[in-house]
Amino acid sequence: MYLYLPVALTSVNVLIPVGLGLAVGLLSGLFGVGGGFLMTPLLIMFGIPSTVAAATDSNQIVAASTSGTYAHWKVGNVDFKMGLYLLAGGFIGGLFGVQAIKILRATGNADFVIKMTYVLMLGIVGTYMFIESLASMRRNKVESVREEKESGLGRFLKSLPLQTHFEKSGVTHSALLPIFFGGIVGVLAAIMGVGGGFLMVPVMVYILRMPMHVVVGTSLFQILFNCIEVTFLQSYTNHNVDFILAVLLLLGSTIGAQVGAVFGRRLKGEQLKIILAVIVLVVTVQIVFELTLSPSLLLSQGGGH
Amino acid sequence: MRKLSALSSQHKTGLITAFVISILLSLFAFRDASAQLTATANHDHIKVDFFYHGSTVSVRGVSEPGTDLVIKITSPEEHQQLLKKGKVAGLLWMNVGKLAFEKLPNLYSLHSTGKIEDILSRDEMDRYGLGYPALERHAEITPSAGEDEKAAWFDQFIRFKESSKLYTVSSGKINLTEDNGKQNYYVLLEWPYQARPDQYTITVYAVKDRKVVETAETHVSVEQVGVVKSLAGMSKNNGALYGIISILAALGAGFGVGMVFRKGGGAH
Repeated sequence: MYLYLPVALTSVNVLIPVGLGLAVGLLSGLFGVGGGFLMTPLLIMFGIPSTVAAATDSNQIVAASTSGTYAHWKVGNVDFKMGLYLLAGGFIGGLFGVQAIKILRATGNADFVIKMTYVLMLGIVGTYMFIESLASMRRNKVESVREEKESGLGRFLKSLPLQTHFEKSGVTHSALLPIFFGGIVGVLAAIMGVGGGFLMVPVMVYILRMPMHVVVGTSLFQILFNCIEVTFLQSYTNHNVDFILAVLLLLGSTIGAQVGAVFGRRLKGEQLKIILAVIVLVVTVQIVFELTLSPSLLLSQGGGH
Repeated sequence: MRKLSALSSQHKTGLITAFVISILLSLFAFRDASAQLTATANHDHIKVDFFYHGSTVSVRGVSEPGTDLVIKITSPEEHQQLLKKGKVAGLLWMNVGKLAFEKLPNLYSLHSTGKIEDILSRDEMDRYGLGYPALERHAEITPSAGEDEKAAWFDQFIRFKESSKLYTVSSGKINLTEDNGKQNYYVLLEWPYQARPDQYTITVYAVKDRKVVETAETHVSVEQVGVVKSLAGMSKNNGALYGIISILAALGAGFGVGMVFRKGGGAH
């Protein structure tokens, strides 16, 4: 069955957005990512104008991450305190990122910087997570779980002021730490035009040393707030949110997020990390192909009026 | 007609004579160029509702026997800005800037009984904007350095438009039948759902000896109706409220599904 989308001004087979929503929602519930880095290009591939695709996806993520946060919260896997610190940092970082984009656009090489940042970030994060989780899976097998040595960086982090305990995550950090790294993710996410879940998850796992299952729930919690803000700004300033498309997507994604949360509980932290790493690497390779193979069309919509 | 009124001011009888002559002349003219070309579309109003997935438009009418026909459907000419891709550092394809296309319609659909280059002279094609080459000569593309670059980007523009079904050119699709010394024509065309709400003009050209001898025109308007119209309007005119409703709906759906699953989960 086809439905007409009033803002995208195109007609779409309803099975496509519902199916995409289901798949991306599943990933969202499993890994704590919004999935914008997958959903937006897929929507564009199915004929949705790129500006509408990105804006509508953020509306859809509001639903998927509400559903996912709720599912993870029920089993006690959301660290609200940590989430709020990250959000504060992300908000400040976002403001800087938007300014950075303005400067880049003025110098005329914005697209190059955006694409390169994207590829590098995805590549580095994917590779690091893949190697690290593979190593820790091996380590577990040999059952020689070594206590990690206190590094110089660790000592430095411990010496920072405003040390506070995060009960849900079972870690103690300076409050500045999540604000700072939340800020960095905020800057990068604004530059790349994505939610940044795929960056936030590794930050929480490797820098904040949070347990993987709490990472997923907490990441979804802060993605929820980011996407509420983006949805509002997109519909207020750019008029790019297609409500009908969002509804079709969220029909799938809210259910997918629940299923993902249930599945996630049955998998070990390392298994979750390695699967996410593989997905991120596949997307990286796909973008590299896109950048190097001759495109079939040299023109695209999105120049604005 | 000015001549006619000048005559009438001189002699009343002259007026009558001139009147009769002019009627006779116009009758001859009628026969000669056959002012019989008509054009009717099966609907002049395409309504876009939730279940709209494009439509079909048929154009039919009568023309003088032996004439070739060209049917053109266009939206008004407008300014169109597109992103262009190019190679950066000789290796990576990405958007490298914007191109402005002027004096080109958003939709252009051309159908003729024979190949347009075979039935019309280049001057006539240019005069009426018939065929891609005529569009290209009429269009302005900025920035482009020289004719070669313009031609290359025009080519890309056509490919881009054809990929979204907004531009199409065909020959031989028009069905011709003769009946009582008249030529009836009929063509059934796919109307793409990608064609946005707008006013479209259908022009039919009767062609003889590589010249357009007569034209007829009709219109099709595409309009959103019902909920589609109110949602599109609200998104445009009341973005804040639209955004809040979208967010609340998403929050509600997320919580709703969460509740349903909790109940489901409790039963395990």
